Amino acid sequence: MIGGLASHELLDPVRDTAAAATPVVETRSLIKRYKGVVALDRLDLVVPRSSVGLLGANGAGKTTLLRLLLGLTTATSGSAQVLGFDTAVDGVRIRERVGYMPESDTLPPGVTAADFVAHMAEMSGLPARAARQRAADVLYQVGLDEERYRLIKGFSTGMKQRVKLAQAIVHDPDLVFLDEPTNGMDPQGRDEMLALIDRIHRHLGIAVVVSSHILEDIERVCQHVVILDGGRLVASQPIADLGDVNGDLLVRVDGDVAAFAARLVALGLQVKPATGEVGRGELVVRADGDFVYDAIRDTAADLGLPLRSLRTRSRSLEDVYFGNVATDDPTASPLQVDHANT
Amino acid sequence: MQTPDTGRRYGEVFDRGYQHYDGQRLGRRHAIAALVLYSMKRAVGIKKGIGSKVIPILLYIGVAIPVVVSIGVRAFVPNADLLGYPNLFGIVFVIEGIFIATIAPEMLCGDRRENVLPLYFSRAITRADYLLAKLLATGLLALTISLVPALIMWLGLQLLATRPLLAMRDNSGDLGDVLVAGTMYALFLGAIGLLISSLTGRKSIAVGIIILGFGISEGLAATLTAVLDDDQPLRRFVLFISPSTTSAALIGRLFNERIVDSDVGLGWILAVMLGIVLLCWGVMYWRYVPND
Repeated sequence: MIGGLASHELLDPVRDTAAAATPVVETRSLIKRYKGVVALDRLDLVVPRSSVGLLGANGAGKTTLLRLLLGLTTATSGSAQVLGFDTAVDGVRIRERVGYMPESDTLPPGVTAADFVAHMAEMSGLPARAARQRAADVLYQVGLDEERYRLIKGFSTGMKQRVKLAQAIVHDPDLVFLDEPTNGMDPQGRDEMLALIDRIHRHLGIAVVVSSHILEDIERVCQHVVILDGGRLVASQPIADLGDVNGDLLVRVDGDVAAFAARLVALGLQVKPATGEVGRGELVVRADGDFVYDAIRDTAADLGLPLRSLRTRSRSLEDVYFGNVATDDPTASPLQVDHANT
Repeated sequence: MQTPDTGRRYGEVFDRGYQHYDGQRLGRRHAIAALVLYSMKRAVGIKKGIGSKVIPILLYIGVAIPVVVSIGVRAFVPNADLLGYPNLFGIVFVIEGIFIATIAPEMLCGDRRENVLPLYFSRAITRADYLLAKLLATGLLALTISLVPALIMWLGLQLLATRPLLAMRDNSGDLGDVLVAGTMYALFLGAIGLLISSLTGRKSIAVGIIILGFGISEGLAATLTAVLDDDQPLRRFVLFISPSTTSAALIGRLFNERIVDSDVGLGWILAVMLGIVLLCWGVMYWRYVPND
C-alpha cells in the first residue's frame, strides 16, 4: 500500500495559479570549485514550478547543486535563487520552505518514525502539537501508518526511504529536493517510491526536483529535465517536447547490413547502428524527408535484402542524454539506463 | 449522513487526505528550542530503553544524598555543620564529571555517527545554531547536577533557621557564590565534554577520553605543582592544566578556603574558565563549518 490516496486531492489552487509561473530555482553563471576541481561550471538554469528531473552521472554536480540551493555551501562565483530567496544570504528562509531528502542513510536508528518526523517538523518551525499531528498524517501518506511507532532500526531500506520522504514534506514545503530517492530499493519498492513522488507533485501541489542517475526514474515522474555533465548544463527542457524533436527510423534488414548501410550513406543519409537494448541489431536512419523511405525501400530491393521492419522512433530521454554528454560508449557511463521497465 | 427519523447527523467520514499546513511557523528560535529540548531528553534516556536511564538516575541519586543528609542532620542538630559548600562542590565535581562524560557524547556523537547532520542542516537553523543548541542542552542538564542540589541545600538551610527570611538575607552572599560556582561548573565542564565529543563519532571513545582526560590532567597538575619551586612564576598557573584543579581553585576563592596550592585570584580563574569555554566553542564551530 502506498498510502491513502484520496481521489479529491487536487493541486492547491492558490499554489497552482499564483506561483505556477514563477520559477522555483534560478541560477546565473553559478560556479563552484573544490580545491581546483570545478564541480559546477557557469551554470545558468531556470527550473519551473513542476516535477523536475536533475539528471547526470555520478560526479556530474547534482549533489553540489542541491547543497548550494539549500544554502549549505557557498558558490565560488555567480548567484542562485530558490523560491525568490538568495541562497547566499537567505539560507534559513529557504530551508523553512524547502524539503530535502538526502541520498545517504541519515536516520537515527533508536527513534520511532513518528518521533523523528515530528522532531524534524519542529526543526522547521512548526509548534509541537502541530508537528506531531503533521508527522502522523504524512507518515500515513507515505504508507507508514501502522509502523510509525516502531524504531527506525527495524525498518527495511524501502521503509527508511519513506521516512526520509516523510520528513522532507512534513512541514508542507513549497519545493522538495529528492536526492537519488530510489537508491538501494528493490523493483517493487522503487515503483512505490516513484508513485509517491509523482503524487507529491500532482496531488499535493509541491514542486519536486528529483536528482537521479537513473533515466527511467526521471522519465516516469518528471515533466521537465535538467541534464548536467561535468558540472555543465547540457540540457534543460520539458520531457514532453522530447518526442517532437525528430522521428528517426529504425530499419532492420537480413543479410549484409554493412553493405546496406554503406549504400544509404552513399545516398547522403545519416545512418548509425542502434545502441542500447531498444533497437539492437537495427539501423537508425535520420528521417529528413519522405525520400528517405523511398531510398531505404529501393536500396533493400537493389541489394536483394529482405526488409524486415521499418518504424519510426521517438527521441527518448536516453537519446537526449547521450546526444549531449560527451561519451561514445553509453555502457561506459555511470548513468544507469533501466530498460527492465520500459 | 442523517438518520431517517430525526434528520440529525449520526456519523461522519473522516478525510485523511493530505492537508496543507496553514498554521504558525515559529522560525529559527523555535527550531533551536526544539533541538535543545529533544537533545536533553535523548541525553538522559527519555524515550529510550531502561539501560540509557540507569546512569543518569544513579548520578541524580548520588548528588541528592549529600544534600538530603546534610539538611536532615541540620533539622535535628541545629548547630551541626556536616557538609559545607566547598565539600558539596567537591562531590558535585566528581558526579558532574561522570554526568558530562555520559551526556556530552549523546549530544554530538550519535548525530555524526548516524549521519543525521544533513537532515538538521537542511532545516531552519544554521550550523552555529546547532552547536548553540547542543551547548545549551548540555549546560542546562549540567546545571541540574551542579546548581540545583546546591540551591536546594542553601534554601533548606535557610528554612531550618529560626528566622528564615532573615537567614536568607544574611546568607545571600552564599547564594551568589553558589550560583557562580554551579553555573561555571556547568559551562566549563560541559564545553570541554562537548569539544571532546565533537572530535569523534564513537560515544565510548568520547566517554573514555573525557574521564581519562580529567584524571590524567589532575595528576599532571599535581606533579608539576610538586616539582616546581615555589618561586617559579609559572607554578601558580599550573592548576589551569586540569579542569579538576581549576574548578577546585574556583570553589576555594568563592568560599574562602585554600583547596589548591596557588594564589591565583578569582578574576584570573573566571577569565581562564570562560576563555576555555570560548575556545571549545571555536574549535567545535571549526569542526562543523563546511570544509570547502
